[in-house]
Amino acid sequence: MSVTDTVGPPAGPASAVSAGVQTAAPPTRRSRGLNAGQRRKLRTGLLFISPWIIGVLVFIIYPVVYSIALSFTRYSGMEAPTWVGIQNYVTAFTDPLVGKAASNTLFYAIIAVPLGLIISLVLAIAMNQNVREVAWYRTIFYAPSLIPAFAMSFIFIVFLNPQFGVFNRVLNLFGGANVNLLGDPTGVKIAIILMAQLGAGNAALIFLAGLRNIPKTIYEAARVDGASPLRQFFSITFPLLSPVLLFNLITGISGSLQVFTEAFIVTNGTGDPDNGALFYMMYLYKNAFGFAELGYASALAVILFLVGLALALLVYWLSRRFVNYDVEAG
Amino acid sequence: MLDRRQLLTGAGVALAAGLGATSCAGSGPSGPRTVRYWGMGAADKDKDEAARDAFLATDAGAGAQVSIDQVPSSGSADMSQIITAVRGGTAPDVWWMDRFNAVQNASIGLLEPVDTLIEKFEDVSPEEFKSQWIQFAIDELTYDGKLYGLPTSTDARGLLFNENVLKDSGLDLDMFDPEQHVLTWDELRDAARQITHQDSRGNYDRLGFAPWADQGMPYTWAFGLDAQVYDNETGQVVLDSPQWKSVFDLYADWAEEFPYSRVDAFFATYQPPNAPPTQNAVFGEHLAITTGGPWQISGNKKYAPKLPLTWTWLPVAKDGDPTYTWSGGFSLVLPKGSNMSRTTWEFMKHFTGFAGQSIVVPKLGSLPTHLRAITEKKYDPDAELFRQMLPNSTSRPPIPAGSAASDTLDRAKTSVALGSKTPQQAIDENQSMVAPKMDLFPGYTMPDTYGKPQQIPDEDQ
Repeated sequence: MSVTDTVGPPAGPASAVSAGVQTAAPPTRRSRGLNAGQRRKLRTGLLFISPWIIGVLVFIIYPVVYSIALSFTRYSGMEAPTWVGIQNYVTAFTDPLVGKAASNTLFYAIIAVPLGLIISLVLAIAMNQNVREVAWYRTIFYAPSLIPAFAMSFIFIVFLNPQFGVFNRVLNLFGGANVNLLGDPTGVKIAIILMAQLGAGNAALIFLAGLRNIPKTIYEAARVDGASPLRQFFSITFPLLSPVLLFNLITGISGSLQVFTEAFIVTNGTGDPDNGALFYMMYLYKNAFGFAELGYASALAVILFLVGLALALLVYWLSRRFVNYDVEAG
Repeated sequence: MLDRRQLLTGAGVALAAGLGATSCAGSGPSGPRTVRYWGMGAADKDKDEAARDAFLATDAGAGAQVSIDQVPSSGSADMSQIITAVRGGTAPDVWWMDRFNAVQNASIGLLEPVDTLIEKFEDVSPEEFKSQWIQFAIDELTYDGKLYGLPTSTDARGLLFNENVLKDSGLDLDMFDPEQHVLTWDELRDAARQITHQDSRGNYDRLGFAPWADQGMPYTWAFGLDAQVYDNETGQVVLDSPQWKSVFDLYADWAEEFPYSRVDAFFATYQPPNAPPTQNAVFGEHLAITTGGPWQISGNKKYAPKLPLTWTWLPVAKDGDPTYTWSGGFSLVLPKGSNMSRTTWEFMKHFTGFAGQSIVVPKLGSLPTHLRAITEKKYDPDAELFRQMLPNSTSRPPIPAGSAASDTLDRAKTSVALGSKTPQQAIDENQSMVAPKMDLFPGYTMPDTYGKPQQIPDEDQ
């Protein structure tokens, strides 16, 4: 028996949903109408979640809609917005710094997201080991995620110092001259990518939850069948962890498109050297609050939103080929 | 247990209380005898308080209430806090603002003009009233013929050098004596060659000079090479002029001999970003010459009291060329929503006038903009050379796209020094970035007096 046979072929979300409603009564015309008690419960329920509903409406939906509207205007934040049609979008697609910022962000995303997934998965597996001191390991592996981004940035500045930093000391051992990684347009991006990996503990916790959700009986069956640990990983762990992987992938892409803090601190908000660390959000921020061009900044935000949405949809579409929802806690 | 009515009532009261508290937050006390002031920043709180106390001791300030808030900002060009406060109805009455941002902020409607207050509260004409301050500072606050604040401090740019390092390198100190000589770029380059030293791995461990470091921004050299940002006559941005190419040629040329990456590694080693003030390449005697200004003098005396640190003029193209520099500085302005009361005006006038500048400017280590304060030398005597620079100094161009122009020029500086763009590519891109922003202000003109030398009365007169 193959291990994958045990798991069964990948199925879409529909199968999980249908499994979940097997015991529920089939919907009827009568059940759709609510009686007085149900309506009261509905009102109470809505009242209890109303802070969240109000929060989403006021702090997410309204700003998004307002930002979309502003993107068609010239607006400084002070005087009434002036309608400019699609001018801001035309400018965005011809602005050389938008291209530079987008390519920097893409560079970051292409490396940081897969690297982050691998590191967090490895961390999660290490945190899931059946050893007595696992609680210590979990704390140690997660601890770097608790360091605020600004503190982490300063640590990296010292770490990469050409004269005193560990990085250059190691380089010197091999006879190399001191380099300032933060002074090189590509080097600074790589430094920021490495910096981001110290926050892998958050994604690792989600992976850990996924790992602990995989029934042990499957591994036992695999071991009986003589599957090696590597085979178990690729045939059990990886497929059954795929929904979690999808979640971390999408949040990772979303986060990488919005990379800002580390680059802002390391470069003092300039994006230097040679715009090497000018990420999309930094340029957007500069336009909004440095140049008071909120209309243009809104257009940049809408473009980012659409790109993020398109990437998320693409990942969802691709996920049909690799995501397996058939696991249930054992 | 709470019933539904009690729950809803309680929630409603809590919501109303929360909204009430929020609406009151930050607005502070108000009234015609009250002034809410956003100050220089937490580090300079003592200067604000000294100026406030001096005002309260005057007849105009007696009985007034001046509350000071220090609102942090991520940079002098970041307007998010003030815009938010203005839109939220919690704007201060008076705000300490980088003068460079005045025209941009006035153009977006963030500031109130002060002309009406001059007419209302002063017995002299606006022109006579404005003549108390140095002209370039008034120009920098002028937009569309109206004045949008009163100037406080100013400064200028010069070359700071460490005599020890120059002497160790066998250089003639007379060349650096501002009373005897003005360095040419060729002389500065020769000196830098003589000073610069590298270790066995090829790292610079002593550097002569880097024209892109510290205050070596494009604007600094542009004023010596007659490069203008905006042509008042044609109403066009002229960032692609041959003069601007000369500015960027200078960076490219210098970087050919002293590569940017190695210079950058030098600065990251001896003067890393965000380092404490003591960790300075000049104080460590690794950097011989750099571009700076009078605001550094107090730090030099505090952190390197034994070092012979001296100032001279910025380098000129050839012997006999006139000296040049540029001046920045701050101002007090009235954001939209200011109460614009007589007390607010008196506070602002006192702070920026002779009395206020006499208190604040020496503490800040800058120069006064008030002509009487200049004449009566209300500044650090060690800043005398910068005072002498003022008649030929000017501000950065007061245009509504000032921040964008400055930002673009600084980006281009690094690109050219790194070699990723040629000077021609850089100026073409600068033009394409800034010109469309100025196109939004057709027919815009800077004040006629902008960029012209100004008379400063001598103390003996």
